Amino acid sequence: MTTEAPVSAPITDLEADSLLGDFGGERHLVGTHCRNCGRNMLGTRTVCSECISRDVERVALPDTGTLYSYTRIHVGADGVRPLGYVDLDGVEVRTLADLLEGADGLAPDSRVELVTRGDDWFFSPIVAN
Amino acid sequence: MSENVYVISAAMTPFAKHRESSYIGLAVPPLVDAIQQSGLQKSDIGALYVGHSYGGMMTGQRIAKEIGLGHIPTVNVDNACSSGATAVHEAWSAINQGLFDVAVVIGVEKLTQFGGGTLPLSPEDREVKQGIIMPAVYAMRATRYLHQTDATPEDLALVSVKSREHGALNPFAQFRTKTTVEEVLNARMIADPLTLPMCCPTGDGAAVVILASESARKRLGLDGPAMRVAASVLHSGHVEEGFRDMTWPDISRDSAFDAYAMAGIEPKDLDMIELHDAFSIAEIIYYEIFGLAERGRGADLIRDRRTTFGGDVVVNPSGGLLAKGHPVGASGVAQVAEAFWQLTEQAGARQIEKARWGMTHVTGGGTAGLDHGACTIHVFESA
Repeated sequence: MTTEAPVSAPITDLEADSLLGDFGGERHLVGTHCRNCGRNMLGTRTVCSECISRDVERVALPDTGTLYSYTRIHVGADGVRPLGYVDLDGVEVRTLADLLEGADGLAPDSRVELVTRGDDWFFSPIVAN
Repeated sequence: MSENVYVISAAMTPFAKHRESSYIGLAVPPLVDAIQQSGLQKSDIGALYVGHSYGGMMTGQRIAKEIGLGHIPTVNVDNACSSGATAVHEAWSAINQGLFDVAVVIGVEKLTQFGGGTLPLSPEDREVKQGIIMPAVYAMRATRYLHQTDATPEDLALVSVKSREHGALNPFAQFRTKTTVEEVLNARMIADPLTLPMCCPTGDGAAVVILASESARKRLGLDGPAMRVAASVLHSGHVEEGFRDMTWPDISRDSAFDAYAMAGIEPKDLDMIELHDAFSIAEIIYYEIFGLAERGRGADLIRDRRTTFGGDVVVNPSGGLLAKGHPVGASGVAQVAEAFWQLTEQAGARQIEKARWGMTHVTGGGTAGLDHGACTIHVFESA
């Protein structure tokens, strides 16, 4: 019996830069769900980073989460730029995100939600009612 | 059959902004000095390992040809800030396995080629595309650490103050003037809560160490100063898609405790540590990671001056990355050079009395999903 070597096609990942995606007219962060092991990942992936299955699907990630930590970058061309890590609700996915500072400022462990402005996206503190 | 490996020579250029020097200009002087001090002939050298991140193609060969060092295997190593230490690890590994009995290691970097600013990271990385820079990564570690513990920005400043005190004693250091907590806190903010003196400077430099097996030392009659490599450990980062505790970098914890086991020592045995204080928060966290302090109590050590001369263990006697400087690929080799000088009583004004055990630790970072991309730890014993 002979076998033929697999032809490993490259991933065209340079076309999938944006983390903000369209889901039936609504915009959410793009994630990838592994149908084999259940792992969720940020962004568009073709291989699961846990079980290396290729049986993965594009999913919308939750719009809410908890701010793990943050900083304000004072160097660079953008002026003062608040940036943080957000742990999204219920999916075990963390994303780096630009932040909008509310009236009460930012704090670790505070609740935040996705806000879009044009093609830009941010996380902003959820204001308690 | 593995045998003991020794560091038998070390040399380096002072770290500074050497704008007029190339990679060759930086590395050739310490290369010549290290070979001449070792008593070796060029023909004794079995291999050359060269750590750098931004030197371009064939950096090692470009340097070696200047002194007519050819034929032997030359390996160029990139592991970001851990490049130089990874080169030391590779040299140790090859000698330990009997592939060669003498190897030269160069760490070299020229950061002034970028004209200033923060370290260029891979433009392919997802978080780099989003705008991450290394100060922001450490700043977020600091924000979280200050949130979880009673540590304060004053504690972060105390690390910088101690580093400058040590750097003032070191002719190889980029910063050789002391500073105060007030000066550090009032300096320009880079990324909250880190001010400029809480961040390591960019600069240029090169360091060289020579490793030899026990049998080569006997065969070649090398009876000069030496320290034994008691442990050499290299780990890589492992991806987390979700939660990661930024105040507890597993990669350094695992590497350190593997190194302690390999060397047969406990943290309290260490007389000196050169650790990766790229930003002042890192040093406080690493006190805990290395088992020098209880979790959440790292700042106590800097407050009580237990990590400076006269304390339990001298951390970064060279001034560390914060004061000595951090030409990325050179740093890991420069740390080994510092350990060599300390353990062989050649450290001058910053000499630690009767230092027997030394550890060097350097990570390499800047990759989304990893706490650090690489971590290299060495433990040395005076011979």
